[in-house]
Amino acid sequence: MNTTFLKIELMRILRDPVTMFFTALLPVFFYIIFGASQDYSDLTAGNGNVAMYIMISMAGYGAVTATAGIGGMAAVERMQGWGRQLGLTPLGDGGFVAIKSAVALMICCIPIGLVYIAGLFTGAKGDSLQVWLLSLLILVVGAIMFALYGLIFGLAFRSEAAVSAASGSLVILAFLGNIFFPLSGALLTFAKFTPLYGYIALARYPLTEGFSVGTDGIVTEEALWIPVVNVVVWTLIFAALATWLVRRGRGRQ
Amino acid sequence: MIINSPIVRISRRTRPSSPTILTTRAVDHDIRHVWMMQLRPYCWRGVRHSVAGMNQPTAISLARVTKTFKTKDGNFSAVRGLDLEIQAGQIVALLGPNGAGKTTTIDMILGLTAPSTGKASVYGSDPRAAVHAGRVSAVLQTGGLLRDLTVRETIQMVASTFASHSGVEHVMERAGLMDLARRKVSKCSGGEQQRLRFALALLPDPDLLILDEPTAGMDVGARREFWKTMQVEAAAGRTIIFATHYLEEADAFAQRIVLMARGNIVADGSTEEIRAQASGRTVTATVEADALDEVVASLESMAEVNNVSTDGQRVTVASTDSDAVARRLLTDLGGRDLEITTGSLESAFVSITGDQVDSDSSTGNDSEAVA
Repeated sequence: MNTTFLKIELMRILRDPVTMFFTALLPVFFYIIFGASQDYSDLTAGNGNVAMYIMISMAGYGAVTATAGIGGMAAVERMQGWGRQLGLTPLGDGGFVAIKSAVALMICCIPIGLVYIAGLFTGAKGDSLQVWLLSLLILVVGAIMFALYGLIFGLAFRSEAAVSAASGSLVILAFLGNIFFPLSGALLTFAKFTPLYGYIALARYPLTEGFSVGTDGIVTEEALWIPVVNVVVWTLIFAALATWLVRRGRGRQ
Repeated sequence: MIINSPIVRISRRTRPSSPTILTTRAVDHDIRHVWMMQLRPYCWRGVRHSVAGMNQPTAISLARVTKTFKTKDGNFSAVRGLDLEIQAGQIVALLGPNGAGKTTTIDMILGLTAPSTGKASVYGSDPRAAVHAGRVSAVLQTGGLLRDLTVRETIQMVASTFASHSGVEHVMERAGLMDLARRKVSKCSGGEQQRLRFALALLPDPDLLILDEPTAGMDVGARREFWKTMQVEAAAGRTIIFATHYLEEADAFAQRIVLMARGNIVADGSTEEIRAQASGRTVTATVEADALDEVVASLESMAEVNNVSTDGQRVTVASTDSDAVARRLLTDLGGRDLEITTGSLESAFVSITGDQVDSDSSTGNDSEAVA
């Protein structure tokens, strides 16, 4: 891996105050407002408490916002001529994707890390270390699929505004993904088909083991295969769309 | 007194009119010096020429290359069966109007796009391989930089992709960027950004440097500075190919002009040859007033003569063989004060590309649309 290239790419993101606010601070703020500061935060939820449940949700929201932004910018940069400049170097498409993926992976650790640290100090409880670590690992690895989500927006609309749109649209998907408040009924059934649902449900699985409480107070249990199928199918859809858009872009060059 | 070889070369290569004087008067050192200053572009052109002999290896070879793009309105052929060979050590201008296929041709030489049919090779290998080996590099048209990086970071980033490069500080110095190292790309002027692209192109220390419209968007001062820098590179022995639609640049800087229109080469040669090809040379002489009609009739009977006009005793003859006309005028026809001139490169440009439009108007339209 080209460490100089990687280091400069990381620095570009770290020194951009707007990006850092939305990817690093906003999720922490959300966690404190919707989680730590609420009365229900210390109620038991599976293998931990509600604060932990909301901590995982908000960390996931921050992580996908970060990776979608990086994926989208990668597409826009390449189409605005930086791709031609890199075409004059030995760095191929594979090398570029590897570096951007590494950047996405590292940057998404920032909101996850900050929210987890906030959780640690504000009463988020997990019964075992395994709940903490396993959920964290799923959050980091799963966030990569949303780099593809950002990439698709960048490839399709070819502008910085499209990248903002990608991050913005994640707010809606986060509602549908059962992140900001628990859904129930028909809306929950629909939510299970949306892309953020599977990712967050999987990340919370070490804590909930599939159990959840809706706004109506009814406890439901969900089989593990539902979020797994959701993630697999959406990853395939994103990958296919991104591949198709890259090919279309090549043809038009 | 020593006459070094570049000057001898100049006298051989330059235009038939004024610089020819150099051969006869170069004895005087001061006069020669003055000529050197005035003919600056020509003098290093001479230097390069002495290096670029006939036995130089082939830098670029394009064989029956075509490139077709799919568009909403069907297929568009940007390049149509182009053949081009460029020897190492040459300085070549790709001259042509917008939409002539210059950038597409350059993209194929750089391996940024693959030809639809035909074969492109650079130093005998695949273009991508030549880029990977650092043998070829380019200054591309506007765009292509990350605005939030500093000048130095941009160079460091691109340098890091090469296994070996000529050094970040070194290329900054060569491109005159030392004072701008910490400036954000977004705060650099067009000329400064172009110098940054040039520094990036120097990183692999390429044998072949390609410049795509290198001075577009520069003011006159920046443009002059840029070509001055480029002259140094050329003198150091690099092969340079540049695309331009500025005639003066092609005329002043190139040894060879490849004139493109509608995806193919319409003329290829030295600037003098291009001029001659388009307009031929014009011979003017003064003849005796009473012999005027006879002279005109005699000239018009020559097969090489295209047109004869008179102004008082002055006869102007446009022809494809100026030597034959001059010989006839000076010997049989009693002409005096004879002058041979070549048409401007601009009229050559218009006449060559314009003729093509007339004979090929069906394909002329779609290239306009894309341009």
